[in-house]
Amino acid sequence: MAGALAQDAPILVSDVALENSQTMGAEADQARAEFRSLDEDVQSLKKEVLDLNRDLFLLEEELLFPANSQVAFFISMDVGEYFSLDSVNLKIDGKDVTHYLYTDREAGALLRGGVHRVHMENLKVGDHELVAVFTGKGPSVRDYRRGATMSFNKGIGAKYVELEITDRIKKQQPEFVIKEWE
Amino acid sequence: MIARCCKILALSFLLAVFVLPAGYVAADDKSDLTVVKDAHFGSDKKSNLTVVKDAHFGEVLFYFYQEDYFPAIVRLLAAQKQTQLENHSDESELLLGGLYLSYGHHQRAAEIFERLLADKVEPEIRDRTWFFLAKIWYQRGYLAEAQAALDKLQNKLDKPLEAERNMLQAQLLIDNRKHDQAIALLEDWSGRNVWSNYAKFNLGVAMVRNGDVNGAASVLNDVGTLRTSNEELNALRDKANLALGYAYLQDGQPNAAKAPLQRVRLEGPFSNKALLGFGWADAENGNFERALVPWMALRNRDLLDSAVQESMLAIPYAMAMLDGVSQAADHYLNAIEAFYEETNRIDEAIVHIESGELLNQFLEQNPQATTGWYWTLEELPEGPDSRYLYHLLATHKFQEGIKNYRDLHYLRRNLDDWQQSVEVFGNMLDTREYAYNERLPRIEESLGQADLDGMVQRKLEFDARLNSIEENRDSLALATKREFDMWGEIAAIERNPALQANVPEAQEVRDKVKLLKGALQWNLDREYKSRLWKVRRDLQQTGEALVETQRSRRKIDEAIRTEPELFADFNTRVNGLSPKIDELKARVELAMDRQSAFMQDIAVEELTAQKERLDTYTIQARFALAAIYDLSASGGEATIGEASQ
Repeated sequence: MAGALAQDAPILVSDVALENSQTMGAEADQARAEFRSLDEDVQSLKKEVLDLNRDLFLLEEELLFPANSQVAFFISMDVGEYFSLDSVNLKIDGKDVTHYLYTDREAGALLRGGVHRVHMENLKVGDHELVAVFTGKGPSVRDYRRGATMSFNKGIGAKYVELEITDRIKKQQPEFVIKEWE
Repeated sequence: MIARCCKILALSFLLAVFVLPAGYVAADDKSDLTVVKDAHFGSDKKSNLTVVKDAHFGEVLFYFYQEDYFPAIVRLLAAQKQTQLENHSDESELLLGGLYLSYGHHQRAAEIFERLLADKVEPEIRDRTWFFLAKIWYQRGYLAEAQAALDKLQNKLDKPLEAERNMLQAQLLIDNRKHDQAIALLEDWSGRNVWSNYAKFNLGVAMVRNGDVNGAASVLNDVGTLRTSNEELNALRDKANLALGYAYLQDGQPNAAKAPLQRVRLEGPFSNKALLGFGWADAENGNFERALVPWMALRNRDLLDSAVQESMLAIPYAMAMLDGVSQAADHYLNAIEAFYEETNRIDEAIVHIESGELLNQFLEQNPQATTGWYWTLEELPEGPDSRYLYHLLATHKFQEGIKNYRDLHYLRRNLDDWQQSVEVFGNMLDTREYAYNERLPRIEESLGQADLDGMVQRKLEFDARLNSIEENRDSLALATKREFDMWGEIAAIERNPALQANVPEAQEVRDKVKLLKGALQWNLDREYKSRLWKVRRDLQQTGEALVETQRSRRKIDEAIRTEPELFADFNTRVNGLSPKIDELKARVELAMDRQSAFMQDIAVEELTAQKERLDTYTIQARFALAAIYDLSASGGEATIGEASQ
């Protein structure tokens, strides 16, 4: 019996070894081939679903926001030493259109240089007024709320408006700037 | 073109794309993640700084920095199709490759890198990219591709990555049974770090399996005598000692086995197996009393551990050898009972796994907004099966399989959402088309009544008349109605015959009329210029309004002409995409079933192996018990030990 029990020991050796090394031999090759076949299927599906998503994304945008009336509003941050963004409220021509609350992950992405498309709107050709109210933590981690106003003219074709939060180093205060892009 | 200058970014954001966890050997390893991450960001160079010039590029980065790779890729593909990334064409393609890699879509990532890495990026980034591609391929079992990617590296990588690269190369050599080359590579390796030790451990285990225990001993001893305070390396050291100890036992060298087994920490995760092995080393030398010491220490530990299970047989065996027959019989009975209960629990766990619930529980416990390849499953959901499956977590096969299942689940949810949206798009289009068709006759009627050409003609006539007024300086033509009426009245008075009489009264009236007329004329002359300017200005504004109206009219005509085409185009797209969604959804579900079956097979295989081991132990216990009863019945207690043997 000692022999029989002692012969079980190699099972344990295998257990230990398998935790950190790949299974070897024909069985492993077969398992690898099976995994690979499944993986290739998944890869192919990912490609097709991504391409389909691209087409659907464009269709949705064209359908909901045709190019001739589309206005997109973007938020960006530069530096962000004096302001930590919590939320943005947008008013177009006196009407509230969006109130966006930022998660830490989103605010972090803005700080690293990401640009967030916070709102899309269909607007008629002509003059419009945008009021943006930013809330968050200002210098010395105090609650901070500031607004910025801009009039802009919507012409024919899509328009992009950027709301940029920058640092005014001299005053050690954040600055909120609204810019138009064509 | 968007003219903006936002946050300054390092071009080597690409490097950040490839910040992957060092889960290659130990899936739950966290300690090296920081090292690798810091190493990547630390290599940013000012010369590589770039500026976000296209908002849509920045938008892709917004999702990328949140590790939401799927939406980032979709936005990048959409922006590329709409040529919205003109200022970042090269970078966006590289970013796309990096996003694909982060998303685990290695085939497309490789296609892009094959195309771009040759001449468009710095050698450092290029080498790094091939390395990470090699790594993802290795983990997914694409060994030839992994080797080909490693072969593309031209220079040494940064220190932590270079060690990992050597580890990967050594592992590929081990997997291809090229142990001599693996040994040579590891011997050349300067410095002792986590990766070299993992490589040595894997090599040692491979050599044991190859039957070269003495060769493995030098490699495993090297890892087993590490002096470190790093918990991860401590665990690896224990594993190496355990593997070497059991290799010696298996090779019939119990005395040699004791030294490595003694080096295993008593409270570490491998102490059970070390205690069991240590007991066997004494038992093999016939020293059962000493063997009982480590085995008895295992008695109250978790029965899930195979070492604890085996100790339940080893203890009565040693007791029998020491002539404690009745005690041995009790222990065998306890072992049979415990194995029976454990086997029943494993059966329940197998039923649970085969119901398919396990994978769904994984996903519920790890709700991911998206699908990054860095992600690893670190905890199993609570359930009857989880306690049996823990060491599956450390295997690539299981981890990568779970990732694929999670990705498929994400794709299905994504397609579900789009299916609903496309239905809404269809309804929206129908409503718009209905509204258009309903309004069109009214609009056409209104447009028919608006005589734009007539208005233009009238405007031209006004122009001609104003020119004539100006040429003749006809101030009366610009008179107000009151002035004009007054002028008429004066003219009428002038024409009155009574006024022609040669009497003083008539003369007086004539003088007054003359005065009035003069005053009126003076006023008209005085106002003439400003009135002429105002009229000309009004006429010009009218002209502009008319031009604008004509332009609007053209747009309306154009819209009336193109709107049906637009509806047709949208309808074609919506109707074309809808069946595509259905088809893909069916294929995703099929792939989910296959992946789920594969994962279930892995888990059930694991549980079945555990159950088979318990069955073997149970049979051994029953035989031993039967032998004890037989010998007791025949009164030959003295020979029980021999019977056991």
